[in-house]
Amino acid sequence: MLMIASSPLKNKNIQMKKVKALICLLIPLLLIYGFNTKFGQLPPLLKFLNPFSGFWQNAESSKVNRSNAVVLKGTKENVDIMFDDRMIPHIFAKNDDDLYFAQGYVTAMHRLWQMDFQTRYAAGRLSEVVGIQAIELDRYQRQMGMVYGAERSLEGMMEEPKSKAMVLAYTAGINAYIHSLSNANLPVEYKILDFKPEDWTPLKCAILLKQMSAVLAMGSDEFYMSNILKKFGPEVTNNLFPDYPYKEDPIIPIGTKWNFTPLRIPQAPQGLNQLSTTAIETKQKVDGIGSNNWAVSGEKTASGYPILANDPHLNLTLPSIWYQIQLHAPGINAYGVSLPGAPGITIGFNENIAWGVTNVAADVLDYYQIKFKDNSHHDYWYDNKWNRTTERLETIKIRGKKTVTDTVTYTHHGPVVYFQKPKNLDLAKNIPVGHALRWIAHDKSNELLTFYYLNRGKNYNDYRKALTFYTAPAQNFAFASVDNDIAMTPTGKFPLKWKNQGKFILDGTDPKSDWQGWIPADQNPTVKNPPREFVSSANQSSTDPSYPYYINWEFSSYERGKRINDLLSKMNKVTADSMRVMQKDTYSLFAENLLPGILPKVEFSQLNATQREALILVNKWNKFYNADEIAASIFELWSKRLFFNIWDDEFTIANVPMRYPSRDRTIELILKEPNAKWFDNVKTSKKETLKDLVNESFKYTCDSLERKYGSIGKTWEWANVKATHVPHLARIPGFGTKTIYNGGSKSTINAMSESNGPSWRMVVELGKTPKAYGVYPGGQSGNPGSPFYNDMTTTWAEGELYDLYLMKTANDQSAKIISNLKITNK
Amino acid sequence: MVFLIILIASFLMQLIAPWWVIVVISFAACGLFAKTPKIALWAPFLAISLLWIGMALFKSIPNDHVLATRVGEMMMLKSWIPILFLSGIMGGFVAAISGFCGYHFRKALLKKSAVKKELQSIN
Repeated sequence: MLMIASSPLKNKNIQMKKVKALICLLIPLLLIYGFNTKFGQLPPLLKFLNPFSGFWQNAESSKVNRSNAVVLKGTKENVDIMFDDRMIPHIFAKNDDDLYFAQGYVTAMHRLWQMDFQTRYAAGRLSEVVGIQAIELDRYQRQMGMVYGAERSLEGMMEEPKSKAMVLAYTAGINAYIHSLSNANLPVEYKILDFKPEDWTPLKCAILLKQMSAVLAMGSDEFYMSNILKKFGPEVTNNLFPDYPYKEDPIIPIGTKWNFTPLRIPQAPQGLNQLSTTAIETKQKVDGIGSNNWAVSGEKTASGYPILANDPHLNLTLPSIWYQIQLHAPGINAYGVSLPGAPGITIGFNENIAWGVTNVAADVLDYYQIKFKDNSHHDYWYDNKWNRTTERLETIKIRGKKTVTDTVTYTHHGPVVYFQKPKNLDLAKNIPVGHALRWIAHDKSNELLTFYYLNRGKNYNDYRKALTFYTAPAQNFAFASVDNDIAMTPTGKFPLKWKNQGKFILDGTDPKSDWQGWIPADQNPTVKNPPREFVSSANQSSTDPSYPYYINWEFSSYERGKRINDLLSKMNKVTADSMRVMQKDTYSLFAENLLPGILPKVEFSQLNATQREALILVNKWNKFYNADEIAASIFELWSKRLFFNIWDDEFTIANVPMRYPSRDRTIELILKEPNAKWFDNVKTSKKETLKDLVNESFKYTCDSLERKYGSIGKTWEWANVKATHVPHLARIPGFGTKTIYNGGSKSTINAMSESNGPSWRMVVELGKTPKAYGVYPGGQSGNPGSPFYNDMTTTWAEGELYDLYLMKTANDQSAKIISNLKITNK
Repeated sequence: MVFLIILIASFLMQLIAPWWVIVVISFAACGLFAKTPKIALWAPFLAISLLWIGMALFKSIPNDHVLATRVGEMMMLKSWIPILFLSGIMGGFVAAISGFCGYHFRKALLKKSAVKKELQSIN
């Protein structure tokens, strides 16, 4: 038997069988591997598509369970969370720890992936989940010192028992939710990008707040300005980049008294500004992110109680940037919007007060030119001696690749962002190579405490006290109280600087160029109950030039602020609804100012039929950026092209990044100096005049609109040209909104551009019980498979608002409650 | 028979285990019970396709197909229906291959022992 079995023929046959069996085992294993693994951008196919744990599990039923209960060991007493008809949670807790624990829990329940992704982005950890393509972005965040700043900030939060307890309870709440998740109910974006949530930490709360500073207070023109100064000299620079605008209506009304004795202003050192330029390319600066807020005194309202309105403008994304919530516990009953990832309410109201914020373009980011001893960068010259730099190692994990470790060099000013710049990163374009960054967001701070006190505030004094804890990003805090006080305070920790310190790059070797101290918090500009009976802000200059300190040399242009003030001064018997209508106002002061200077210069006889029709439309235009307005499209592109024609020949030079003079200065030039030399295109031998540029730009605009949208007509309407939409945070196609048909532009109160605009609109009328209204684009849930993901967008686009319910008790019948969640600890 | 075993076992196991238990179940069920290669191919294909399409609809109908439509758009498709069939057919395909492999795995082992039996009877 053995002999036969081992005969060559039989042996071969058995070998074949073995191979066949092996192949039959291997194929299924390969299938498992192949369909469970992410290749390139494609999600792991069957891990994602299978209906038991893949994306189908994220399809939420449009019917909501009425009663839910969960046991969470981290709570001390029972917590009731009531969800209203837009799925907004109203939390009723018996102590602060449970309150913030529950806030963390529900926020994670609705927004976990968003919180996780935003903090990974801010901390420079995207490569860890998306791979090598994010490496330069990660490096940028590390080298700007985002985590370094967050660590300092966390120290500040942890020193103060109140904020420490807040952060720890919030963190525990988020983690309680994360630990309850199975693979099947992970948010759908985790399944697409194929990664898993990690535990939340207090540092992540700090990183999220740093990201707000990065969004709002990272603007820096000093590199451009230094290049301009070097190229054109001080006279032209001062002329084209003045320290106070031609047209302005400052936030603190002109004539407001400064009730303090200012500190001594430091002297500017001699021999400034012999600084080098560095060879890189840049692009035109785009208008910054803006916002509006105002408060009207009871003297001017129909009810006799003050009304406060706020609409912060940001780059809009889904899931919604904000998360609405009501927080109720002994000592607090507040409603408003929070940032997913930070405890407390950022913009909102309670029974006694309301508050809202807009950005202050404070000069709190400076670059210092550093003189290094040699290429090791271990020593730098400062205060007439060599000083040691410190090094911080940044370890960047990369999905599917080896971990990279970078060394970031720190001087006492802050990190040296780049010794060599990345080629294709827009964010890096305004950063000078080899310079150290001094940025307010690197300082120890505790903004949470401001919101802790505001949420519980009862009156004007509580508001003033709360603001003293605030560092960055600097904000104009509007305030109204049921006692009929209104106030506005540009708030932040402002460095004590000589005038224009930081307009240009600073000398890093001279101690006199350092920040010399701080403007005391109680000397920040402020106004309470001004004679005009209202306060407002729209990112324009904080004060007129009589304020003794320097905050910045340039702010956003004045148009939105002026329009708000014009409307409010004319209004009487103001109601919440008239404030809502104002929030969607699209009248353009920019058009009102510019058109008289350029319209008469267009030569009608030189135009073709389309151009003639276009000119007639612009002539008849009422200057409202309404959705169906064709003239708005023409004016928008025309002004852009005209400004390009005026400035591009002088201010765009290869290897010397510069910026254009401001919109305000350009209008002044057009209206008052029509023969200025700047109108000539220096690249041609012919001598161009303003009139030539106006005509060329008008024809160019009409031709390009015609090329893109066909003959003049419906397709030229502003809403169609603007094409507003709200994309998904990770730009996943299909997960954003469709194109939204609406009006508004950057320079109108309704500051809606392509996907930048009002991220939250709120109107609060104080009274015996406050009446409040609000909306944001998107919805409460962060799950693209939820009926509450994008349910508010239409209301928002139409400029309507929802009622906001400040419930008195968990059983308050005034709110439309559709579901509740009871948290117990056993 | 094989169809029902795969359908029921896959439904129950996927409530607790990852999606790829369908590979194991199809392989084992066909390895043990499939009489012909045809059955080993079609039974798992139909069982998993039906199970997955059924389950996907169970989640997606109450959702008005909101999410499936978004995922469809993400994958450059116009509606949710191709995503539904893609899910079902891909699942079925993997199960079918696994079942087929299971069947032939048995064959490979079985024939070896059959040879042995034959030789034993000669002796």
